[in-house]
Amino acid sequence: MSLFWIVIRQLAEIEEMAVSKKVITREEWEKKLNDVKIRKEDMNKLVMNFLVTEGYVDAAEKFRLESGTEPDIDLATITDRMAVKKAVQCGNVEDAIEKVNDLNPEILDTNPQLFFHLQQQRLIELIRNGKVEEALEFAQEELAPRGEENQSFLEELERTVALLAFEDVSNCPVGELLDVSQRLKTASEVNAAILTSQSHEKDPKLPSLLKMLIWAQNQLDEKAAYPRINDLSTAMLEDPPI
Amino acid sequence: MPTSASASPSATASASASSIAIAAGRNHSDLHARLISSDGEVQLKALRELKNRIIGNRTKKLLYIKLGLVPAVADIVASKAETIADHESSLLVQSAAVLGSFACGFDVGVRAVLDAGVFPYLFRLLSHPDEKVVDAGARSLRMIYQSKLAPKYDFLQDKNMDFLVSLLNCENENVTGLGASIIIHSCKSVAEQRALCRAGVLKKLISLLDGSLSQRDASLESLAAIIKNNVEAVSKFVESESTRALSSVIELTKDRYPRTRLLACICLIVIRNTSPCYLQDIGIKTKLVYLLLELHDDPGQVGDEASFAFSSLIAEKEDLQKLAFEANAIDKLYNHLQKGVLHPKRFQGILLALADLCSKLENCRSKFLSLKALNLVTNALNHDSSDVRAAACICLRSVSRSIKNLCAGHFMNEMIVFPLVQLLDDPCTSVQVAALSALGNIVIDFTTHRSAFVQCGGMKQLVQLTKSMDSTVRSNALRALRNLVFLAEKVCKEGIFLELTASSLASLVSDPEPFVQEQALGLIRNLVDGCMNSVEFIFSEDRIILDAVGRQLRNASKAEIGKQGMYVLNNVARGNELHKEAVMHQLIPQTDNGMQSFMIKFLQSNDGQLRTAAVWTVVNLTFPSSPGAFDRLVRLSNAGVVSQIESMANDPCLDVKLRVRTALGQFRTFGIGST
Repeated sequence: MSLFWIVIRQLAEIEEMAVSKKVITREEWEKKLNDVKIRKEDMNKLVMNFLVTEGYVDAAEKFRLESGTEPDIDLATITDRMAVKKAVQCGNVEDAIEKVNDLNPEILDTNPQLFFHLQQQRLIELIRNGKVEEALEFAQEELAPRGEENQSFLEELERTVALLAFEDVSNCPVGELLDVSQRLKTASEVNAAILTSQSHEKDPKLPSLLKMLIWAQNQLDEKAAYPRINDLSTAMLEDPPI
Repeated sequence: MPTSASASPSATASASASSIAIAAGRNHSDLHARLISSDGEVQLKALRELKNRIIGNRTKKLLYIKLGLVPAVADIVASKAETIADHESSLLVQSAAVLGSFACGFDVGVRAVLDAGVFPYLFRLLSHPDEKVVDAGARSLRMIYQSKLAPKYDFLQDKNMDFLVSLLNCENENVTGLGASIIIHSCKSVAEQRALCRAGVLKKLISLLDGSLSQRDASLESLAAIIKNNVEAVSKFVESESTRALSSVIELTKDRYPRTRLLACICLIVIRNTSPCYLQDIGIKTKLVYLLLELHDDPGQVGDEASFAFSSLIAEKEDLQKLAFEANAIDKLYNHLQKGVLHPKRFQGILLALADLCSKLENCRSKFLSLKALNLVTNALNHDSSDVRAAACICLRSVSRSIKNLCAGHFMNEMIVFPLVQLLDDPCTSVQVAALSALGNIVIDFTTHRSAFVQCGGMKQLVQLTKSMDSTVRSNALRALRNLVFLAEKVCKEGIFLELTASSLASLVSDPEPFVQEQALGLIRNLVDGCMNSVEFIFSEDRIILDAVGRQLRNASKAEIGKQGMYVLNNVARGNELHKEAVMHQLIPQTDNGMQSFMIKFLQSNDGQLRTAAVWTVVNLTFPSSPGAFDRLVRLSNAGVVSQIESMANDPCLDVKLRVRTALGQFRTFGIGST
């Protein structure tokens, strides 16, 4: 009997909580937001950080002139970094490696994993272009010694060389290595390494801020109904369902 | 992965090495010719080609070093270091980059660059007007200073210190980085640490903690070098600018870059280990334990180094070992060990960390054994790397300190003992020493297996190693033998004694190294312990051992030697009249030239155990039922021993007090002594 009442009471409490979820109207919400002050300089810095990290060098230069925001990095280095990134994206890996070495010879000397991935990408490009003999020679000369130094490199090398074994590579288990996404993956790895070598964060700050916004909204959803931003690209406040 | 699959690429690799050699041999004369060409453009192209071939490629570095290309590149730097023409600048940039790459993380390369005599020229590049040349020169020098082979930088010379400070004050990050690398490489002594503090380097480094990523890392590492084991420097650091420096370092343990986190942890550990008065709260201790365990997850160098930092945090510190145990350190380290092929450095580090964890706490050892980690460690005894083999032995030594498991015979099996005995023959001394120390523990409980150990040649090996040129090997071999004869049956003792011979045992007692003497005396003490027959060992070959022991006791410099020697005499003094008289002969020599007996010195020693051993010997010599006891007591009394013992009735050490009481009781039965 008493247990029954406890359960009933708890159910009542839960119901009460659900009902008591606070509702915030659009007016209230906008008023609250208006009270938050954001400095223009901070906004500009975030935009500059985004442009620099993503490598929009012309835009960054223009933005610097128009807004007077100084980038925290020499803009000339962005051009170099972008040239490397572009070279990988176009499949000119050898060219990319030479450019990285000109930029800072330490990067590939102290980053065996990145070096291996670039060489692996070079091998993939050779295979893509049907240069089978050259590919085999390159794998033996450049990649096999790295595989001896590191077990996981060896496994990746085996996976890559397997491309040679299939007639129809587009339909084989390791076919994804030939995808553009593989180039992009390698390009972004080089990009990150160059940024780190320049003591620069490898990711822009804006995405983190937006991630935090989404997380905060999710937290708030449990306690209140309020005008929510559902579409980040428009940042429109949408009325809460009542 | 199937072995056949991994075997094929390595076969192609060796084939490829030879094909590279042929191809490179062909290219080499060409490349070399271009490097020494009189045409700068040709040289520049050759340098770039060489650079792009060797960066990231250890195999090719080695190849081109063997083919003698380093001196050709060094010549370019040497001949152009003073020039400032534009195209010469690019020659300098490229050649410095090539030299830096040869030296990067590769000692053979560092040696080749240093041998080429280019080191001073690289320093000259630092004052070049072209910033790119400065960058390239600083980078190359930094690579060289990251190796042990780099020449030591003498901070104690004023002009060197001024130069270093100018490097640290430079705007160029590569140059400040070089300054930090020099400190990390060369700052070892207290005098050097003091000189650096005096020159304001500490302050400068603290300011670099707010700098860029590379500056922060460089600063953390060099700070650790300057304050390590230097209480004065630590307090200077901690108390600088109202403790801001310390909180910056603590803050950096939360940095997003794993390397920065590791270096910040190492810096805090250095502070703690140097001045135990800082960083004592449980919060920071626990945090360090968790942070370092987490850093093991990094797949690269940081993960490899994390276990060494972890070891330095917990070594010899029971409280931290307990915290680490509670943080599941043993499981976590064991999980890493299980991950298949590990880099030798990481393998070594984890084994040593486990060794430190199991060095004091029984619950750590039980946990270790319950995980079946022992199999992984015994497999490591056969590892290719000598560092890993030695670390595996050290780990076994720690775990085998568990009396409970020793008694259960958990370590006495072929899987462990055979490989350990084999390691006694290891070409590497550090492995031999480590294997001896592990065996030393394991042989203690040999109740049923002693003969197996002897049969597999273990005992003969140990005896052989007592003749090693290396004193640590001798000492460890003696320690193992000492434990082997501990409470052993007579047959076993005889076997060892025959193998060892009285004369070599006597000469080990007189070894030039005190710690060897101590182990030799300890071995003799265990040898003559037990049944009456055992005492006879010491009388063979015209009492050569007994005389050596007596000689050592008369000259004993360390209490530990006196203690072991006295216990030898004490064990002999339990024997028959002949034995007792022989001991008397050592205690009070016939030709008394007025010298005080060492007995008085030992009885007055600060070491309670030494006093115990000395009094105990007197008790054994004056046992009332033995015929010559009265005569001996008179002689001891004349030598001042009796009155000395009488004065010790209220000795602070309980053990001593007990024996003194027995001795005084025996004196009274002969009517000697006051009341």
